[in-house]
Amino acid sequence: MNAHQSMLDDVAAYALGVLPAAQAQAVAAHLETCEECREEYRLLRPAVTAIGLSAEACLDASSAADSVAPPGSLLKKRIMRQIRPNVGEMRAVRPIVWPAYAVAAACLLVALATGIFNISLNSELRQNQAQLAQLAAHNAQTTRELAYQRTALADLVSPDSQHYTVQPGEVVRHGTRLYLAMRALPAPPKGKVYQAWTLHNGAKLMSPSVTFVPNRNGVAVVQLPVNASQIAAVALSVEPEGGSKQPTSTPTFVLKLT
Amino acid sequence: MEDADRLMARVRNRDAAAFEALYDANHRLVYGVAFRMLGDTSSAEDVTQAVFLKIWSSPNLFVSGNFAGWIVRITRNRCLDVLRSKSRTNVELPEQQPDDDPLEERAFASLEAAQVRSALKELPAEQRDLIELGFFGGATHEELARRTGVPLGTVKTRIRTGLRRLRASLERTVTV
Repeated sequence: MNAHQSMLDDVAAYALGVLPAAQAQAVAAHLETCEECREEYRLLRPAVTAIGLSAEACLDASSAADSVAPPGSLLKKRIMRQIRPNVGEMRAVRPIVWPAYAVAAACLLVALATGIFNISLNSELRQNQAQLAQLAAHNAQTTRELAYQRTALADLVSPDSQHYTVQPGEVVRHGTRLYLAMRALPAPPKGKVYQAWTLHNGAKLMSPSVTFVPNRNGVAVVQLPVNASQIAAVALSVEPEGGSKQPTSTPTFVLKLT
Repeated sequence: MEDADRLMARVRNRDAAAFEALYDANHRLVYGVAFRMLGDTSSAEDVTQAVFLKIWSSPNLFVSGNFAGWIVRITRNRCLDVLRSKSRTNVELPEQQPDDDPLEERAFASLEAAQVRSALKELPAEQRDLIELGFFGGATHEELARRTGVPLGTVKTRIRTGLRRLRASLERTVTV
């Protein structure tokens, strides 16, 4: 098997997500430069996506050995409560009813106290485990963010990047990635943020993109979540917090990408 | 129902009703992937919750295109975080969306779970086992080689052949 045939096999392993991080980065870098491998990746990726879809079948096949019940409505309520903390179910207040054998029940409660204490310990253990899992997830997130920052830095200083000067800094394009690298951006007024806008090739209206505020030195480096090759122009304006659907202020700059 | 692109645009504007519609349409998929990877309902629920809260808190991570494919990737990576915390894996799926051919990705996203399962069953067992163990088990290619006793080069070739065969089989089901 020649070296490139072996690389095509690596591309398949990359598409399936079974390469360790270092090898995955190497394949990703190779894909930037090799049309044949990029085509192979483009061919295999939808199949990998479909594999994930198959997992839903284990919720449907009630007779299958590996079937499982779908998540109940409590999970949805829990999630919706977190995004709408003020919109939740009001807990019904039950009237206190003293049972006829209250004294006997009290004795039983004392007997159960030890058991409850154990349950409490178990609950605490479970909480600690959940916190550990959250910390691990946070660690992984930080690692990803560092990798992103490294990529952004490499793109910004790469000799292959295209730099477009605008009043408060630069717009930088590297391959399919697009950055705003602002150096002297005044702080937006209170309650306002900066919002980027992108014009897709052939489109007539700008689309809203990310919002951000620069640091106190007026510096901000932001990657726009678009495919740079599909973008004809970029703009920046000051908008209310949360962003706008359409620009509501005179743009700080409008840049046509050539 | 509104497509995911429109719903996500509304979610970016903090529209809870749009978020709820996204949840209703996709929670079974997210939970199914998490359960296949983690093997218990409690962890699968935790991951499902984490994924949807991530969508709510960072809606700009999704640009446009195949929403189902994207949500599967972030679910798998979240599960890998959990497995990694138990030192069971160090792999990851690239989360960014493909730069080209979104139409093709969308066509595959319209597949039913049962159709994909059926296509997977058509694969030779030695290819299907590697692909499913790799995707849902979070194993690296080297671990796959160790566990199956198959040489590493053969593992990778079987994965590639299996994925190509799976794609060809699914192509007969969808119109790309």
